[in-house]
Amino acid sequence: MITTEVTVDELAVLMKKAAGITVDPQELKQAAGSPFDCFGLDSLGLLGIVGELENRYGLSLPPDSERCKSPREFLDLVNSTLKAGA
Amino acid sequence: MSTQRTQRPRRAAITGIGVIAPNGQRPDAYWKSVSEGIGVLDRITREGCGHLPLRVAGEVRSFDATALIEDRFLVQTDRFSHFAMAAAALALDDAGLGSGDPAEPFSIGVVTAAGSGGGEFGQRELQKLWGQGPRFVGPYQSIAWFYAASTGQISIRSGFKGPCGVVASDEAGGLDSLAHAAGAIRRGTDTMVVGAAEAPLAPYSMVCQLGYPELSTVEDPDLAYRPFTSKACGFVPAEGGALLVVEDGNRARERGVPVRATLAGHAATFTGASRWEESREGLARAIRGALDEAGAAPEDIDVVFADAMGVPEADRAEALAIADALGAHGRRVPVTAPKTGFGRAHCAAPVLDTVAAVLAMEHGQVPPTPNVFDICHDLDLVMSRARPAELRTALVLSRGLMGSNAALVVRRGESAR
Repeated sequence: MITTEVTVDELAVLMKKAAGITVDPQELKQAAGSPFDCFGLDSLGLLGIVGELENRYGLSLPPDSERCKSPREFLDLVNSTLKAGA
Repeated sequence: MSTQRTQRPRRAAITGIGVIAPNGQRPDAYWKSVSEGIGVLDRITREGCGHLPLRVAGEVRSFDATALIEDRFLVQTDRFSHFAMAAAALALDDAGLGSGDPAEPFSIGVVTAAGSGGGEFGQRELQKLWGQGPRFVGPYQSIAWFYAASTGQISIRSGFKGPCGVVASDEAGGLDSLAHAAGAIRRGTDTMVVGAAEAPLAPYSMVCQLGYPELSTVEDPDLAYRPFTSKACGFVPAEGGALLVVEDGNRARERGVPVRATLAGHAATFTGASRWEESREGLARAIRGALDEAGAAPEDIDVVFADAMGVPEADRAEALAIADALGAHGRRVPVTAPKTGFGRAHCAAPVLDTVAAVLAMEHGQVPPTPNVFDICHDLDLVMSRARPAELRTALVLSRGLMGSNAALVVRRGESAR
């Protein structure tokens, strides 16, 4: 079985693509509990990332995903959803 | 306090100028083109526009948004906001206010005018909507193509928290935005970043303009925009714009920065879309209102920057309005329309004219009206080359396709009145 998981590295790429935010994946990993604001990501930027992931995996993420405060909270929710969906 | 500073009444002083125009991407480059009457109108080269019946425009070429604006603002914004943010940064630098976080963010506000909006961004996202479905439309569509985008993004980018505004209007809205800024200064805000930038040269935006009978579809760039001549065949659009830093004159003196000009008077009227004959009275009343507010007599006007629609009946109405409002002086005062060299950038057109007026007063030269050589109205239109003149007060005129008329009186340096 293929385990689908969005990594911190992939989140960094998505932040660049969807919101124009350049963030070092290592820093993102270390500060994964910090609010998205700290990285310069606003709510519309997070919404764009949610949209990218929904299109990529062909499923709906829960409404709470776009309200996540930190990268860790977001990745946990996304990955548990993907796991449940798989 | 033993010392008493003599405070003059609060006046809107121009202390910074930023320009991104087809004929120059800095104020000095813009002035060089304007004063030398260099024409840059050319065939439209922007992607996806080649099949449209609008052939000639003033394009801002080799504008590198990525070198001037951070990625996170680029992905959120249309080209018209890129122009506006770039011009605002130039103006803030010129005013010595840099681009860092302001010490008093609530003392600086932003007002812009827009008439075309973010058509390129909007088209891209709407193509995704019908091509791939709603899930593929990016969330920044919700902000990028609206007229208010530039005001918001300039404020956010620089951390300004003062009064903000957007004039969503036709061309004359560019002058109205300056009046809004002057009002904010009088009411107590220290500094306003104000102006307009437009990006109407994208397929969707161009199609929106094709319905205007005033649009020139002539294919020869030298012949496409010749207002006030018997060959007048409409106007040529342009992209780009200008942002100004306007601040209370007292504040400018305290900061020790030179006041380049003062916004002395403004008035606006409305006479209905494409009712050019009626714009005569509307424009004349706007001129009188602007003179009144400035405390200026017709004879005080040293140069007129004309609206120059390029439609015979509109040109006639403008020439008559100048005569109606300025009397005998209207036939003697030098009139110019430098925009014939680079096009009419909708709301940004009268702001670029205001910049040209300030630079003309500083340089003591009335710039010429490119491509116009033989006029059929009773005006002293400056043609062929710049005319040296002592200029203290300029009148800038603007009319919009939707029927707005506006006039602005600008005085050189810090106005005593």
